[in-house]
Amino acid sequence: MGRYVVRRLLQMIPVFIGATLLIFLMVNVMGDPIAGLCGDRECDPATAAQLRHEFGLDQPVWRQYVTYMGNVFTGDFGTAFNGQPVTELMGTAFPVTIRLTIVAILFEIVVGIVLGVVTGLRRGRPVDTGVLLLTLVVISVPTFVTGLLLQLLLGVKWGWIDPAVSSEAPFGELIVPGLVLASVSLAYVTRLTRTSIAENRRSDYVRTAIAKGLPRHRVITRHLLRNSLIPVVTFIGTDIGALMGGAIVTERIFNIHGVGYQLYQGILRQNTQTVVGFVTVLVLVFLVANLLVDLLYAVLDPRIRYA
Amino acid sequence: MLLEVRDLHVEFHTRDGVAKAVNGVSYGVDAGETLAVLGESGSGKSVTAQTVMGILDMPPGRITAGEVLFEGRDLLKLKEEERRKVRGAEMAMIFQDALSSLNPVLTVGDQLGEMFTVHRGMSRKDARAKAVELMDRVRIPAARERVKQYPHQFSGGMRQRIMIAMAMALEPKLIIADEPTTALDVTVQAQVMDLLAELQRELHMGLILITHDLGVVADVADKIAVMYAGRIVETAPVHDIYKAPAHPYTRGLLESIPRLDQKGQELYAIKGLPPNLTRIPPGCAFHPRCPMAQDVCRTDVPPLYEVTESDAERGSACHFWRECLHG
Amino acid sequence: MPDPQQPYEPERAVAGTGMGGQMDLGASEAITLEKTPESPDGTGPQDKPRSLWSDAWHDLRRNPVFIISALVILFLIVISIWPSLIASGSPLKCDLAKAQEGSQSGHPFGFNGQGCDVYTRTVYGARTSVAVGVLATLGVAVLGSVLGGLAGFFGGAGDAILSRITDVFFAIPVVLGGLVLLSVITSNTVWPVIGFIVLLGWPQISRIARGSVITAKQNDYVQAARALGASNSRLLLRHIAPNAIAPVIVVATIALGTYISLEATLSFLGVGLKPPSVSWGIDISAAAPYVRNAPHALLWPSGALAVTVLAFIMLGDAVRDALDPKLR
Repeated sequence: MGRYVVRRLLQMIPVFIGATLLIFLMVNVMGDPIAGLCGDRECDPATAAQLRHEFGLDQPVWRQYVTYMGNVFTGDFGTAFNGQPVTELMGTAFPVTIRLTIVAILFEIVVGIVLGVVTGLRRGRPVDTGVLLLTLVVISVPTFVTGLLLQLLLGVKWGWIDPAVSSEAPFGELIVPGLVLASVSLAYVTRLTRTSIAENRRSDYVRTAIAKGLPRHRVITRHLLRNSLIPVVTFIGTDIGALMGGAIVTERIFNIHGVGYQLYQGILRQNTQTVVGFVTVLVLVFLVANLLVDLLYAVLDPRIRYA
Repeated sequence: MLLEVRDLHVEFHTRDGVAKAVNGVSYGVDAGETLAVLGESGSGKSVTAQTVMGILDMPPGRITAGEVLFEGRDLLKLKEEERRKVRGAEMAMIFQDALSSLNPVLTVGDQLGEMFTVHRGMSRKDARAKAVELMDRVRIPAARERVKQYPHQFSGGMRQRIMIAMAMALEPKLIIADEPTTALDVTVQAQVMDLLAELQRELHMGLILITHDLGVVADVADKIAVMYAGRIVETAPVHDIYKAPAHPYTRGLLESIPRLDQKGQELYAIKGLPPNLTRIPPGCAFHPRCPMAQDVCRTDVPPLYEVTESDAERGSACHFWRECLHG
Repeated sequence: MPDPQQPYEPERAVAGTGMGGQMDLGASEAITLEKTPESPDGTGPQDKPRSLWSDAWHDLRRNPVFIISALVILFLIVISIWPSLIASGSPLKCDLAKAQEGSQSGHPFGFNGQGCDVYTRTVYGARTSVAVGVLATLGVAVLGSVLGGLAGFFGGAGDAILSRITDVFFAIPVVLGGLVLLSVITSNTVWPVIGFIVLLGWPQISRIARGSVITAKQNDYVQAARALGASNSRLLLRHIAPNAIAPVIVVATIALGTYISLEATLSFLGVGLKPPSVSWGIDISAAAPYVRNAPHALLWPSGALAVTVLAFIMLGDAVRDALDPKLR
């Protein structure tokens, strides 16, 4: 197990470097990193040159990347467009997005798994067909449309929620945005659970459990669920990274000042350090979440042994 | 009679239509007695057993007629909760593939102990001790340590011993073993079969042994029921049937066993394939494959004739059982 | 997968059971206890053996999901080529005086915030979506299956490198990549969006193609052909490709819906297509601020978008069901 973790960590290094370098190049090649630094005005050439030198932008790109990553590993993520250190922005943005992600994951776990189990046990019945159609619709409607519609209905028409989330973004205000963020994954969790339950329901060991004379609830909870949820848990685990990185749309609709919002601002103002800094952290979260999921898999399924 | 199945009919609803899996099966087994049920896959032998156990998937399965009398009460009329208490405690089942039949994510100790916590209300600690005891009894070495292991950590033979231990746990009156040795290595098959027979004698249980392997049957069974296309085509004490089968299908099965004294001869094989259960041929279901078939076989379904030329109780569902018996 | 924000990872999602089997509505409900042999006993009609493709087509023709989604898609293709068939006006002819007005004679969907006819714009928006979806999918499918197929066939260092590269792409959130890459492009055409989707989409297909080529490579008949001295190119094109292509087609069809949704999402964020291009994403984005007064301007393009994406996803699902021999 220990050796497996070390090997996986080593494998993560090229992926990490590749992903951050790719984003670094995209931002650098595509934009002008100092364009936003002189406020709304064009920088005059002398100031621009000076700024370029100051930020090391006259160096070759690969050297800039190395310098930047060197700084990152000493905890210096650079300066944002408004002069704040990027780490400070992260300090306010990440807690918000983490809360939003927690809400989304909870929706996936509670609603997704419950719907999946119910439909998996009642395959072919009206409940099953109905939920299945609903998941297809949810998957097909882009998240931003779902978000706008829920905002329109719940926020504007019926006034159940505030259409915009306040800057503190407490859990209570994040329920609907969290649902929106989770929506597509929620549909997947439902379908994955359903398939898994329906498949395992006909498995030999469930038949054995019934033949042993176990009560139905025990057959379901102890034998059927335990096995069926393994792929679901791993899906939800990998989804954590994807949700945090994908929160841009949801955060924009509900005006949540989280990671997505900061990234959006950073991109609009072509601020390399904000964008690359945030993406670096997101990529790390994604990679670590994937590693944890693989390790969790071994815990959940004793047949898996990593060498 | 410990268990008596009477005129059981089971069908399945499939995409291709209604598959008549069991069409009027009757058989019985006494305490301490072994009944071997023989037949190819699709003959309905497993479906009958699952109906007796009450583990048939419904839907798509449906019991359309019949009785399953266990110590005189009809199990098919019991409520599910009462039926559940019979399963595992009074009758138990051993399946063919122990690897897939044991839960891969629970330790064998948990799976064995579950019998005692659920049916006997024992504490987990006592149940664990019972599990070790059971594993000792089926002669699994180092039971105390291995009780904490998972099914995949055991060999095929050991896993099947665990299945047997699980079935024996509450000392049931009836055991149904569905091809218990088919998935095992030949060398292990005999050991597992001996263990099963030994425990049966010890506990004086009824045993229904479902198999397609006539070789296994000869040693352990008292009587045989041969099934074809959801019907019993021949039933007889084991020795009579080996001496002189009264149904061409049984004869075909016997002739297809490789024998050491007939080296060099070509092996006999019953021509054709078992029928599709959604389209069972009219008359005798075996007639398209039968070397003795006459016109009457294509139209009239043979009843289970009493084979009167035998001392023991024998039956054959062949219009020409006499010819077969002497041919 | 249809979520533009998440890269779809079939390998992980499948994990034993997978999305692969999620649409098997009752198909595997057939009896599992005792198999009824397929071959008839001589009394029933004899089924002729069919190839995977003709078998799949046989199934598809009877599948209402397939028929409905195929008809919807056919309709979309027709109106994206000849939008004037059902919409007489120009999508760019707007009258601010009519801004936010509701349904009225000749303008069944009403007007949007700029006073443009919502019906006409919705009809013309199909062209963008279909163009982006089809072209991006073609690009992704060609690039992904060639790279993945070669990597799977030859293995070795190239395969290892390609696997790491796909890992890198999977680690980057798609919408984020789109924002970064497209934010500086001012072009009004669909090409930057298509290029971006191809750039970030190929690893998904490449993984699938690699996996199915590796599976097909191990088939006995491929080994036999190899033993008979077939060349690599012959092996790949004649023996492996026809058998490995099915999963690629299925995933690509479903991905097509995703890409349409992704284009709309990027346009909504202001980095995809830009006015005066006509796109459902642009219109939805533009309608959002007026949603209180003119919800119709939001709902019609949203509905059109959802139906389009749904049609492609359902088509992909139906094709997968038909091609997956396990469900037979």
